[in-house]
Amino acid sequence: MRAFSRLFVLYRPYRGRLILSQILLLVSASATLGVATLTQRLINEGIQAGSERVIINTSISMIVLALIAGLSLTGTAYYAVFFAQGTAWAIRTRLYDKIQTFSFANFDQFRTGNLLVRLNTDVQYVMVAVMYSVMLLLYAPFMLIVAFILAFINTPGLVWLLFAVAGLVVLLMALIVPRIFKAYGERQQRLDEVNNTMQENLSGIRVVKAFVRESLEKTKFERRADAMRQPAFTAAFLVMLLNPLLQAIGQIARAVSIWVGGESILTGGSLEIGSLIAFTQYMAMVITPLALMAIVVPLILRGETSAKRLFEVYDAEPIVQDPPDGQAAEQEQAKGRLVFENVTFAFRRQDGKLDPPAIKNINLTVEPGERIGFLGATGAGKTALVNLVPRFYDVTEGRITIDGVDVREIPLEDLRKTVGIALQEAVLFQGDMRFNLKFTNPGVDDDVMQEAARSADAYGFIENLPEKWEAPVARRGYNFSGGQRQRLSIARTLTAQPKILILDDSTSALDVATESRVQSSIPEFTNNATTLYVAQRISAVIDLDKIVLLQHGEMVDLGTHEELLERSPLYQEIYESQLGAGITSGLEVGS
Amino acid sequence: MTNRAGNSKENGKPQAADKVISGPEKRDDTWGIVRRLLGYMIGQENRSRFTIAMLLRAVSLVGLVAIPYLTGEAINVLSDPSGTTAALRYYSILAVISGLLFLVLSILSDRQFADLATKGLYNLQTYLFTHMQTLSLSFFDRQPLGQLMSRVTNDAEAVAQFYENAVAQIIRAVVQVGMVLVVMLLISVPLTVTSLIIAPVMLILTFAVERVSTPAFAKMQEEMGNISGFQEETIAGHKVVISSRRQEWASESNKSFANNVFEVGSKAYFTSLLQFPATNSLIIIQTVSVLFVGGFMVLDGQTTLGTVTAFTAYAALLASPLSDIANLLSTTLAAVAGGRRVFQIIDEQPTIVDAPSAQDFKFQGGQVTFEDVDFSYVPGRKILKHNTFEAQPGQMIGICGPTGAGKSTIINILTRYYDIDSGTILIDGQDISKLTQVSLRKQIGVVLQEAFLFTDTVMNNLLYAREGATEEECIEAARQANAHDFITHLPQGYDTLMTERGANLSQGQRQMITIARAMVANPKILVLDEATSNVDTRTEKLIQEGLQRLMTNKTSFVIAHRLSTIRPAHKILVINGGEVVEQGPHDDLMSQKGFYYTLYMSQFKGKAPGGAEAGKSEFVST
Repeated sequence: MRAFSRLFVLYRPYRGRLILSQILLLVSASATLGVATLTQRLINEGIQAGSERVIINTSISMIVLALIAGLSLTGTAYYAVFFAQGTAWAIRTRLYDKIQTFSFANFDQFRTGNLLVRLNTDVQYVMVAVMYSVMLLLYAPFMLIVAFILAFINTPGLVWLLFAVAGLVVLLMALIVPRIFKAYGERQQRLDEVNNTMQENLSGIRVVKAFVRESLEKTKFERRADAMRQPAFTAAFLVMLLNPLLQAIGQIARAVSIWVGGESILTGGSLEIGSLIAFTQYMAMVITPLALMAIVVPLILRGETSAKRLFEVYDAEPIVQDPPDGQAAEQEQAKGRLVFENVTFAFRRQDGKLDPPAIKNINLTVEPGERIGFLGATGAGKTALVNLVPRFYDVTEGRITIDGVDVREIPLEDLRKTVGIALQEAVLFQGDMRFNLKFTNPGVDDDVMQEAARSADAYGFIENLPEKWEAPVARRGYNFSGGQRQRLSIARTLTAQPKILILDDSTSALDVATESRVQSSIPEFTNNATTLYVAQRISAVIDLDKIVLLQHGEMVDLGTHEELLERSPLYQEIYESQLGAGITSGLEVGS
Repeated sequence: MTNRAGNSKENGKPQAADKVISGPEKRDDTWGIVRRLLGYMIGQENRSRFTIAMLLRAVSLVGLVAIPYLTGEAINVLSDPSGTTAALRYYSILAVISGLLFLVLSILSDRQFADLATKGLYNLQTYLFTHMQTLSLSFFDRQPLGQLMSRVTNDAEAVAQFYENAVAQIIRAVVQVGMVLVVMLLISVPLTVTSLIIAPVMLILTFAVERVSTPAFAKMQEEMGNISGFQEETIAGHKVVISSRRQEWASESNKSFANNVFEVGSKAYFTSLLQFPATNSLIIIQTVSVLFVGGFMVLDGQTTLGTVTAFTAYAALLASPLSDIANLLSTTLAAVAGGRRVFQIIDEQPTIVDAPSAQDFKFQGGQVTFEDVDFSYVPGRKILKHNTFEAQPGQMIGICGPTGAGKSTIINILTRYYDIDSGTILIDGQDISKLTQVSLRKQIGVVLQEAFLFTDTVMNNLLYAREGATEEECIEAARQANAHDFITHLPQGYDTLMTERGANLSQGQRQMITIARAMVANPKILVLDEATSNVDTRTEKLIQEGLQRLMTNKTSFVIAHRLSTIRPAHKILVINGGEVVEQGPHDDLMSQKGFYYTLYMSQFKGKAPGGAEAGKSEFVST
């Protein structure tokens, strides 16, 4: 329970409420059992002694106790929900804030899906665990203790029966409940497989239809669905079993106590009928909370596991950190001279060791206003290299300077204001068009935003939308095509008016003509910002001042299109394959 | 529903907004849906099982209901001065036996119900799946897959909950309430009435809690969806957030989403928890009422103490199933909502069906003719207009044009995933609308831009292409597609498991496997949606070699995004705005200096080596 107890820090300001909630719980347990004691009085001194006054008085007292029990338990429920939801709120916000301090390498360690599971499922599990801890964890022990005390006072000869029944319930529940959880886990796993099979089938439905394999798919699916039946059966059966089992225990225990107690009454013992009936009520009142506890304890254990996973994220340290004594760079005066000096970079693995370098010993100077392209195969290190400029990752060796200052000495805020980057995967956010375009620079004028959109060749289609600049953008921008998203992403980057602009394969979904228009209008908009183009396609770099040719993390050549075409075999190969004869070169075709 | 501001699929394919399967919710057919859902669980084939389960249940409850009577009699023995130990033992032992009978028969009955529940779910799942296999592509294009899947999984789960946790319980609760009431009435009418005083309060309270908490939980789910949607978006898009320095905005927005969850979540959970103390108190009040009224009746000599205590026990046997029923009702209503949507899919009919007189396609060389073909995904929005062209057996036909021109649509109508509006498509003189879909698709191979592989071994993915294909054929196909080398270098060779959607291979490698797969199918006619975007040069070369071999001697249609791909085609169709604006071989089209010429030249940005007029670069001569 170590992780779970770390949560108590959150409750320090609310300690009073936590204690109150448990006092209310104790009151409720006592009042509920007090009813049973009054039953005894009602029967012994009322019905059997023939006193109407006692019957009326005890009945009223019992109803008052019932109301007290209900109200105090309601109070506990209120606090249980308050603490549970409050904990969830605190984790959701604190953990998310923590994630906002992460750098790229942290995200490599905790993948998006992984973080989301923690933020959703694990938070939910902790929430449920907190709720039941407050509401029920102590309820059953309270009930049991009070019931024992009362039974000990009134019917000492039957206390052993109470022990036996409580023990039986705990034992049976301890046997069944873990099996239910296990069966549910298995059922869930099989269900996931069923769903995955369906998902895969539906996403490949064109392939299924193209090869006419519907019947094979049907067999595959039936096998999956069938595999789910056994655990689903076990889970459903065991859950169904709980109700009759507890009812049967309650009823049989009642019969046995009347039998055992009755024998003692008939043989002239000190026991009275009212006390016997009160005893059967204690027993009935103890069974339900005990059974509930058996269900709650595993939920609390699950919460502990989840809490552990949440703290894992919470305890992670951001890898790229602000320089402690960074001096605010004068953004206005930045010229944008970018120098890579002996830059080597390797990704760090989970175990802390370094991968083989992705970037090896790069030396490159980009003059202010220069437009430079990075070309190379997948895995050549293009993106890794440009990611070092805004410090998405830090260099392993060497350094990168902007106007002579090492990027690691510039405050992150200033650095990332100076360097604008448009990524290959153009993610937009839910909101409207204006919000997205001004994402990098919320305070900017509409004029700048519109000019940025114009430069990115997005102005036209935005103006054609019915709501224009207020047009709604769906999550991740799914209501726009890939090409539109890329243009919006470029416009968004331009809105920040960076001094150094990086386009990381961010025109890959555009046709060549559009790409060309975007490229030629950027220098004017950015007032000749230093611009780095990363590209797969040769058409994206053909016009630039210089092209860096990368291979296996090394710079193999640097020159203009014409120079490279003349001297670099690698460049020629790329050129030939992309703009040359292509698919059927060498295939005999009659003409 | 998100507003479809942009035209998300270029060629105007119908989108979710056009028609989704969730129509306006009808509320009047609830009972019909429950009956239909039950049909999968206790339909014809399971009728006898269900009858047995019901009988067991009924008898088991007789045991349960007998206990309070027997223990009441035992109490009477105690309060009777002439009571004997033998009489006490008699009633007590009978009560214990009844309890055991109830337990054993309940177990037997629950086994049957649990089995029926899983059968019901299995039947529904497989029926739904099998039915979806028969639906036409237009159904799947109409809605995003994620949306369809999350609906199907959530709805099926709601129905599963109903089968597994509601049906048997509702039956038990109803039978129990009925039996207890009968016995109570037989023993004492006034005490029965007293015991029932709380029943309406209990029902009203449970319903009231449901009425508040069900929508509150729905609202909470919605808010949780909002926050997790936001978190997913911003965490997946962390690069943009970081590079735009908007972490503070992200934190603030997250906080306001979390506030909403806190608010509605507190309400939802608190109202649902209310039931616990309320039921607790109500049962106590019920017992007190019985004791109070019963006490006076005993004093008047109208009844015995044993009867009164039996009634307190009966009252409890009545109260708990009543609150169960109210609770299970919400499970049932959720299942009805889910079932309604599942049935919408099940009731969906395939839009493309074989004509009653449909013939099997007979391949005679592979001549393909489009005569004045018009096509639209959505009525009134023509994607293809007056398309007329011809492919001779064995010819390669290139298809090019700007994005959104309708190029990919040609695949959809040639394989009859969609039917055309007017005109005719003939293959070897046979109108494809009069052929069986299966025979047609077996002869037309399609290699799609997105290389889709199943989560299975490489070999099984290849075998998939044709029923009865042998492993040798698959290996040979892989050789031809240049895939054999890298496959044999995989950890388990051909037995290597593709992880989800082939993620452990590069895109180029996956593409080569799909080419090999198409070779295994050995179709007579080919359609290739240009597959080589985003792969490096060397891989691209290998892929192209594979494609060449695949295309040899087959009529083939190649949809090109990069014009170099289709330069050697016998005929290039230039499509713009759904119309074939130019057609002919590369050289002819270049010399026309029309639309194709402009397209072709634009990719060189004026840096085309050699004489642009001939359109043939000297550089490329290899």
